[in-house]
Amino acid sequence: MAAEKTSPGLVEVEKTSPEVSGMGHRMKRKEDSRFLQGRGNYVDDVNLPHMVYGHMVRSPYAHARIKSINAEAAKKLPGVLAIITGEDLAKANLAWMPTLFFDKQMVLATGKVLFQAQEVAFVVAEDRYIAADAAELVEVEYEELPVLVDPYKATDPASPILREDREEKSNHIFHWEVGDKAATDKAFADAAVKSKVHAISQRCHPAPLETCGCVADYNKATERFTIYLTSQAPHAHRTLFALVAGLPEQNIRVVSPDIGGGFGNKVPIYPGYVCAVVASLTLGVPVKWIETRSENLQSTGFARDYHMTAELAADKDGKIKAMRVKTLADHGAFNAAAQPTKFPAGLFSVCTGSYDYPAAFCEVDGVYTNKAPGGIAYRCSFRITEAAYLIERAVDVLALDLKMDPAELRRKNFIQPEKFPYATPLGWTYDSGNYEGALNKALEMVGYKELRKEQEEKRKKGELMGIGISSFTEAVGAGPAHTFDIAGIKMFDSAEIRIHPTGKAICRMGTKSQGQGHETTYAQIVAQELGIPAKDVIVEEGDTDTAPYGLGTYASRSTPTSGAATAMAARKIRDKARKIAAFLLEASEEDLIWEPGKFFVRGAPGKAKTIQEIAFAAYTNIPPGLEAGLEAINYYDPPNLTFPFGTYISVVDIDKGTGEVKVRKFVAVDDCGNVINPMIVEGQIHGGLTEGLAIAFMQEIGYDENGNVSGGTFMDYLVPTAVETPHWDTGLTCTPSPHHPFGAKGVGESPNVGSPAAFVNSVVDALSHLGVKHIDMPITPWKVWNILKEKGLTG
Amino acid sequence: MAVTIEKTFRVGESADKVWAILSDPKKVALCVPGAQITEQVDNKTYKGAIKVKVGPSVTDFKGEVKVVRLDEHAHEIEILGKGQDVRGKGSASMKMTGKLRNVDGGTEVVSTSELNVVGILAQMGARVITEVSNIMFEQFVNNFKKQLQSPEDMSAEAAKPISGVGLAFSALKASFSRHDDKSNGSAESDPGKK
Repeated sequence: MAAEKTSPGLVEVEKTSPEVSGMGHRMKRKEDSRFLQGRGNYVDDVNLPHMVYGHMVRSPYAHARIKSINAEAAKKLPGVLAIITGEDLAKANLAWMPTLFFDKQMVLATGKVLFQAQEVAFVVAEDRYIAADAAELVEVEYEELPVLVDPYKATDPASPILREDREEKSNHIFHWEVGDKAATDKAFADAAVKSKVHAISQRCHPAPLETCGCVADYNKATERFTIYLTSQAPHAHRTLFALVAGLPEQNIRVVSPDIGGGFGNKVPIYPGYVCAVVASLTLGVPVKWIETRSENLQSTGFARDYHMTAELAADKDGKIKAMRVKTLADHGAFNAAAQPTKFPAGLFSVCTGSYDYPAAFCEVDGVYTNKAPGGIAYRCSFRITEAAYLIERAVDVLALDLKMDPAELRRKNFIQPEKFPYATPLGWTYDSGNYEGALNKALEMVGYKELRKEQEEKRKKGELMGIGISSFTEAVGAGPAHTFDIAGIKMFDSAEIRIHPTGKAICRMGTKSQGQGHETTYAQIVAQELGIPAKDVIVEEGDTDTAPYGLGTYASRSTPTSGAATAMAARKIRDKARKIAAFLLEASEEDLIWEPGKFFVRGAPGKAKTIQEIAFAAYTNIPPGLEAGLEAINYYDPPNLTFPFGTYISVVDIDKGTGEVKVRKFVAVDDCGNVINPMIVEGQIHGGLTEGLAIAFMQEIGYDENGNVSGGTFMDYLVPTAVETPHWDTGLTCTPSPHHPFGAKGVGESPNVGSPAAFVNSVVDALSHLGVKHIDMPITPWKVWNILKEKGLTG
Repeated sequence: MAVTIEKTFRVGESADKVWAILSDPKKVALCVPGAQITEQVDNKTYKGAIKVKVGPSVTDFKGEVKVVRLDEHAHEIEILGKGQDVRGKGSASMKMTGKLRNVDGGTEVVSTSELNVVGILAQMGARVITEVSNIMFEQFVNNFKKQLQSPEDMSAEAAKPISGVGLAFSALKASFSRHDDKSNGSAESDPGKK
């Protein structure tokens, strides 16, 4: 897929030779050779001498008082080494730990349990099976308490108060609002057309292929702690371990080896990690704890659970005047949302979308319920999927109300390219965009006009077919540091490049790949900037002893931050290389011209020194007055977020007999500015769309009225396979970020952010002539069939 | 998680003979696989236990059974049961109504059970619970018929936990192959509906 340049004049990138494989080359992923050979090294592959195993005892109840814990039978099982309870941790002041968002969370329950599958005791044994068997033998006596599942009942006086530990005797966590309420209300009062939708972004779970786990290894002799951790943010976790457990930070080494998918699930610190650390500290041997699949689904960071109402005010021609949003956020038992400190609802306020209107007001209330804690950013930049879903749903409902084509309505309201940087009514400054360019390309790729004609004919025959559009804008790549921090640590990121004497390089990063292909893309950035072939650049991440400090990988921030840092560090190296080249060529620095891979003397292209020759000289023939070596480090604090965007179009056919929705065609046109590796971008889009498909049609972590999890296994929480996944047609436009060193924007999350609305819009479009305006996700065949039955269409 | 299970079966004996068993929780308990009555509290209340093993999970419920309605004339009984797992893995409660009807050549037993399960068993979902119930019910009916024919043999038999592996395996098999019985979960197997 070739990117169309839609905004020339922004950051241009010159393409290097295939040998160098800088930006824009479809280089095969370097990491894949080990993954495809089964030679990856995940946390569960770490096996240390004398290692023992932990297993968690969990609560069967969503809300119950713990009356007693009897571990005698469990202790008697041969091979059991220790059983840790909340009371034991309380003695070390570790029964509670801070969450990433101004709340605290029980490591092991004391007093009462607040959600099903909550951690109650940690059993350590000589092997995994003994630990699991012993966990079965731990007898816990509970007294069941009334359960609060419905977030709308959280502030109902009849509901139980869940958090007895808090001073505030209420299930209400926060109220947050942003925007001009008066101006918005006035716009609504004056509007010719008002449109409203209530949409639930249901509780779902990233369900990474690899569950969470760790190996905690305390060495009594050196007093050093090595923690092998499924972590998307190893440095931040090291600092948090130091602060929470009171361990000296120089004695903590967090190693995040290969990670089998994170999607936000591996950002928080989980009780299992803390228990393994405590157990290793107590027993003096390495302790491994690996979650089961059900434990992962039931107890670790969920995503979404936003109950949203959006209203749009417009004139009768469809020009949007204002947006009003009211949202209820279900945070479960503890507010363990992983998002920047200043933003209790993350970046949800990008909910004004890709459209140009002056007024908006958005308010969010967070509440506690008897559900697992979390609220992590599942493949999105902190609540952006919720926001994009809401505005794209709302625009479609407005189009229905206006009886206007949804593509036309979008076109009419898009922020125009010349208006960038664009200040949104809720306080964001979009860096660059050409929304109509992406829409036009997507409409053309999908054959929109013909599809509408076909739909008309099919409706006459009573057949159901729908076309759904989503023209989303994402806000990714946090910092800037003045606005963004996680638990106080500013959201810059880093890169360190060392050029070896033979001209090869190692690049170490503050980020951490979980499948994004960093080992390839960062190498390509170095190749682009220094002309060293990408194959000669090793990228290493995840070891806090060696990598420069960084905030890790989530929120599509790696390319906008560490990618930028890589370019900046490379440019420092190029500056020094120029000095060395000038010395070697006996020319003045000003007379040297750079082309990828070498400096040559102006007017004498034959008089040149390659980067490899320069690197060798940096160690063997050091110019007088210059430090030896050729390396650089950069901590990059981006001046703004980057705002990738795109238009996705889903085409569906609905089987009236079964309610099954078949995605016949799906076109995804993305714009992430200048592309580092088009193949990796395509791969990211494919993966994210497949996750979006699952969210739209298959997945929900549901709870019954007693607080039992109904999505706690892969029998109930469905993951799409190749059978369910349609073919994805991808395309690119290119509107570089004006402030990023090489004009790139994050992209990994766009497909997850943009696609749910496209899917839902297409199903609603198929049924809109029957009076259907909205269907909540997941749109299962059962749900569709019931609608069809109600409309008398099932035959 | 709430599941409603409706079952009907026929026996050759007269309604009076069937009623003699159905109206006595001690006798009914003997027919329930894995169950036993441990103590009679008063003429309507009993203490009992039931062990259910599904796959890797054994739940050992201990609790109370109460006869809340007993209509000799209409041959109807309503029983409330509630128990907690002894190792704290969850709880269950059940409201069961049983009704007898004279039919040609014998008696029809109609039972409706509203089962509410909390904890590990509940996480297995309505389909597994329903299937486990189906299998337990089949065994119950066999035991019930046996007791009608020769009550002495039954009372001699001690309560045994239900065959664990076998139960999980047949539940799994059953949930994959469509059954044509009358059972229906009130919590539909649609993951999108709570």
